[in-house]
Amino acid sequence: MADITDSKRQVLALFTGYRDTLDSHHDQRERVIKCSRDITALSKKIVFSLLRITQESSPESVFKDAENKHKQVLDLFRKISVELQGSNSLKYNRQATPGLQEYIEAIGLWAFLQDNVLISKDQVLQRLSVPGPDGVVAPLVSVTDEDYILGISDLPGEVNRYCINAIGKGEHEAVRRCLMFLRQMKEGINMLMCSGYVRDLDKKVAVLDSSLEKTERAYYSMSIRDSEMNTQNGRLSMAVDI
Amino acid sequence: MDVQVFVDLQDRLDQESTLRESIKDAVKELNKTCRLASAKLAKAHAVPKSQSQEVTDSIKPQFEAIRQNIGTLVALIQPVAFYKYHEMWTNAIQGACALVVFAVYLESARLATPEDIQAYVGCRVNTDNTDIAEFVITLEEYLHAIVSLFNELSRLAVNSVIVNDVQRPQEISAFASELYAGFQLLNLKNDSLRRRFDSIKYDIKKIEEV
Repeated sequence: MADITDSKRQVLALFTGYRDTLDSHHDQRERVIKCSRDITALSKKIVFSLLRITQESSPESVFKDAENKHKQVLDLFRKISVELQGSNSLKYNRQATPGLQEYIEAIGLWAFLQDNVLISKDQVLQRLSVPGPDGVVAPLVSVTDEDYILGISDLPGEVNRYCINAIGKGEHEAVRRCLMFLRQMKEGINMLMCSGYVRDLDKKVAVLDSSLEKTERAYYSMSIRDSEMNTQNGRLSMAVDI
Repeated sequence: MDVQVFVDLQDRLDQESTLRESIKDAVKELNKTCRLASAKLAKAHAVPKSQSQEVTDSIKPQFEAIRQNIGTLVALIQPVAFYKYHEMWTNAIQGACALVVFAVYLESARLATPEDIQAYVGCRVNTDNTDIAEFVITLEEYLHAIVSLFNELSRLAVNSVIVNDVQRPQEISAFASELYAGFQLLNLKNDSLRRRFDSIKYDIKKIEEV
């Protein structure tokens, strides 16, 4: 083997260090991606479980099931939290955000079904909070405004699904709530579109508009059906409260 | 639904927009200064090695200006938000580092170290994967700057012959192959660094031909 010059030895030593740094960064990124996927999968299960609420006799059993799944999601967040400390939180946000958004969508749907509210970013952080080793309760991960906005902007799609199911069961009150919710979301998101640019938000607005339209048409059909039924029964037609 | 949620978000988005505008302006200034420095540094291709010191001396004021431009940028960024806006200045920073790497080679025929970078532009190069508490130059930016050197070296080799500097191509070739050996140690993923790394082959080939 040829003699290695001092300068070559130096270069090789330097680059060996850089290799280790890059490897460690790529490995960390991979771990975040994998964990984010797991969070996405479990959050979707929570959504499916919540959407069954129109089929179940008691909403309590649905929320209880959601709570159990939520405990599992928190374990996944504990895992991902290790990789997202300090400046790493934003460094790997692009990899972590899909899971985070899916989670926000799931607990957002939950909050709508259980309490008829739009979940706030603070409430998201509360749901993500657990006692630390020192006993202080703190969120396992940070949530950026973008994570939050993109997460809640997926709610209209799921609320729409719930609404269609509710219409099938003739649950007027539920449908009315959905309509109000979708309209207020549209108003809110339009406000945001006027301010800075949020990546991917315009695509989500398109889904929101179509969800709103479908819901309005479905409600309209439902109201027509009901007033026809009422007329047939010889009663005063129901006031259509839109 | 509480409209306040959206009002607050809107406020924060507006503030962020304003910050992004300021960052854009700072980056624009940095790019201007770098372009000027690059033009001056390019004169090194037209002179033999003995005169390259004059060229590197001539850009000292530009490096001072680059330091200041970067200082302006640093002042805008909170370290905890570093990675949020990082994409906005990464190309400009790479460019600035590339200038340092070339200038150091011209002056001392060696690879600029992270310490050199810090001395020239006032910013630490982050060579490990730990948490950062300040504005840094990332390892990838530093490595991109080194990749740029290969292209300059291949041009320099060709131009040395033109100005009758016959020793130089040999030195350049030895240096370039050492540096390339270092680069080959890296496990690169399919990103921009990898793509630029692939183009180094051609520069090396050109140098060897000379």
